[in-house]
Amino acid sequence: MGYIELEVLEDQPKRVVIGIDLGTTNSLPAIWKDGRPEVLEVEGEAALIPSVVHVSDNGTAVVGRTARARSMDDPAHTVHSIKRFMGRSLGELDESVLRRLPYKVSQTERGLVQVEVGGKRFTPQEISALILREVAAQASVAMGGAEVLSAVITVPAYFDDAQRQATRDAARLAGLEVLRIVNEPTAASLAYGLDQKEEGTVAVYDLGGGTFDVSILSIEEGVFQVLSTNGDTSLGGDDLDAALVDLLRGELEGAVDDAVFEEPAFRQAARLAAEKAKIALSKDPAADLVISIPELGVNARRTVTREEFEALSAPFVERSLRCCERALKDAGLEPGDVDEVVLVGGSTRVPLVRAEVERFFGRAPHTELNPDQVVALGAAAQAEVLMGGSRDILLMDVTPLSLGLETMGGAAEKLIQRNSRIPCSVKEGFTTYADNQSAIDFHVLQGERELAADCRSLGRFKLTGIPPMPAGLPRVGVKFHLDADGILTVSAKEESTGASASIEVKPSHGLTEDEVSAMLEASFKNAKKDFEERRRVDLIAEIGIMLRHATANLAVAEDRLDRESMEDLREAIASAKEARLCAELDLVQIARDTLDRATMPLAAVLMDSVVKEAVSGKKLGDL
Amino acid sequence: MDATCPSCGAGLETSLACGACGVLMLTDDAACPFAVFGLEPGFDVDLKELKVRLRRFTRLVHPDFFALEGEQALAKAERNNALLNAAYGVLADEVRRAERLVESLGGPTEKELGSMPQAFLMEVMEWNETLEEASPGSTGWLELERDLTEHRDRISTEIGAALTPLPQPGAESLTGIRQSLNARRYVDRALGRIAASAGPS
Repeated sequence: MGYIELEVLEDQPKRVVIGIDLGTTNSLPAIWKDGRPEVLEVEGEAALIPSVVHVSDNGTAVVGRTARARSMDDPAHTVHSIKRFMGRSLGELDESVLRRLPYKVSQTERGLVQVEVGGKRFTPQEISALILREVAAQASVAMGGAEVLSAVITVPAYFDDAQRQATRDAARLAGLEVLRIVNEPTAASLAYGLDQKEEGTVAVYDLGGGTFDVSILSIEEGVFQVLSTNGDTSLGGDDLDAALVDLLRGELEGAVDDAVFEEPAFRQAARLAAEKAKIALSKDPAADLVISIPELGVNARRTVTREEFEALSAPFVERSLRCCERALKDAGLEPGDVDEVVLVGGSTRVPLVRAEVERFFGRAPHTELNPDQVVALGAAAQAEVLMGGSRDILLMDVTPLSLGLETMGGAAEKLIQRNSRIPCSVKEGFTTYADNQSAIDFHVLQGERELAADCRSLGRFKLTGIPPMPAGLPRVGVKFHLDADGILTVSAKEESTGASASIEVKPSHGLTEDEVSAMLEASFKNAKKDFEERRRVDLIAEIGIMLRHATANLAVAEDRLDRESMEDLREAIASAKEARLCAELDLVQIARDTLDRATMPLAAVLMDSVVKEAVSGKKLGDL
Repeated sequence: MDATCPSCGAGLETSLACGACGVLMLTDDAACPFAVFGLEPGFDVDLKELKVRLRRFTRLVHPDFFALEGEQALAKAERNNALLNAAYGVLADEVRRAERLVESLGGPTEKELGSMPQAFLMEVMEWNETLEEASPGSTGWLELERDLTEHRDRISTEIGAALTPLPQPGAESLTGIRQSLNARRYVDRALGRIAASAGPS
């Protein structure tokens, strides 16, 4: 349909910083406007973007709703829940998670996870970058075309250094400057605090699609101070889905060949059926798990009662409560000391979760805020602080995990304790064991365990450029600094000579600087192609809406249009239908424009009848 | 504190930044935690006031407020905020605070003092035996916990009294305080073991 565009935003702000909740299931942008954070909207709806990427065999990627829509008919090319793989190596991942994936994963030379879709390999950073690009593009649309260059991005509080670095690298690949990485529960507390204007001790219970966090905060005079945090970066709603998928498999076992369970189509359909049943079970006492894939001979229906679902979910909820216990203990508090419990994340809609959280803290949780939006809102508020808009709000956050070094004997020596306030620095002295030794290696760890092998390896550092001296004489001071994003930087200085030693880093589960640069270069090459593909997909969606409207009013057209206009319209409709399958951007654009023009007379007729209807029966004086 | 801001001349509450004009100071990595918090060195610290100052000074140095000021200012904010957090860690913990005072007055370090008296070490061995033999929550266990808590409080009072008013630099009493601090470490370690086996895993 032809329509008129309004130019609303005339003087756009020079620099727009948005807050982005980069979620396992969905991502959402928000912005600070008129003294409060606001979720960005496209066509009157929150710009909630499914964190799903579809890559076709010709290598073009689409993101969001369009990609999610492909997950049923083309599961092997559709990547979801990539956040679970950020900053991880394949060897660390649970076999049970991998065997449920409808898409293929493998490892890079250094063992990092990569997904293989459409004949191409992508690191989780690259997939996340595609999602971030789409979020920024949608945000730009929502703001009337303002360019988005900087963002505050949220991560689970329990993300370690490698996972945070991976998120930052993803943003770089997406062409976004990251002003701050904020912990999700901290962001949520900020949105809660601004909304409720309450002070006191708050617990944020954040159960998302793939990760769980709990943070205990004190809110006092605009200062949001995190007292402790705990969590599990592989615990979330996906686990509840997986439990239901197992139920469905059990139903089918024996009836179909086991190989069917390995089919991407089965994995995807089972996952979606489980998700649907899970959501229904939040309202209804029972729901059906339904799966039907005639090509695979799969046809099953299994009724699940809420009791049954709760029995399946209980162990996962229990795991989250153990985290709450540890967080309270680290904060030196009892459950009764908490003044308010804020629920975040879609999975907190599950009634069992709410009931168990209430039982644990001894008070009904605060449920006024939309658990899907609260994190993005907090990120937008933080963006406002960073832009110099407000000095009244201050976030004081902590590092979730202890930082340590591997000793000669293989133990982990802690340098920074978990729940230390960030930014935070520690200096450690090193020396040489041999005469004229010019380099020292050390291994940085994160985690609470006593043995280095049980902690997570952040990276191996090599100190070089130590001036030749007898063994034991050099005094190399190494400074470990956790910045406000919770990311580690290491610097070194030989103290007797003042020479600054240089440090080479080999991240254990992340990308090196060179790898990121190479990817950036490649992404510039692909940017034009990606942009065109995006435009094509958008046009096709638009054509769909126009077609629906035109066909619905075809009878009116027949009745009221002259023969020539009617012929034009029929032709335009026919070519537009064909264009929906066309891969050439130019042809799709022409078809859309032709249809737009051909529907003009129809639009005029319809508008005319609307006006007539409105004025009929009214005297001239009423108008 | 008598220091003034080199930039605007206002009096400084903290050695890290000027509360009047907002400029960040360049201080030594080993900044004195008392100077950082604008307090006279001493054993008595009002923890409530310390928290209030932590919040007030964090508003002056947190990197959030320097995001648009360029890399150099941001790095300085990161550094000064880290120093503030480190100083808070020392001042909020009475053992670390006392150790810092002993050290700055030229007292012996933990290593310099050498080993603890034989009688004390025998006592420590007895605690460990009880912890290994008695089960958590048993009478012997609870008795030990009570004794150790009393012991800890006694040491605290002793240290506090010996450091108030502050002894002269190099005073002989510093050796005794160091010994009490070392004893306190043993007691704390034992209490830590008790807490670890009582709390959630």
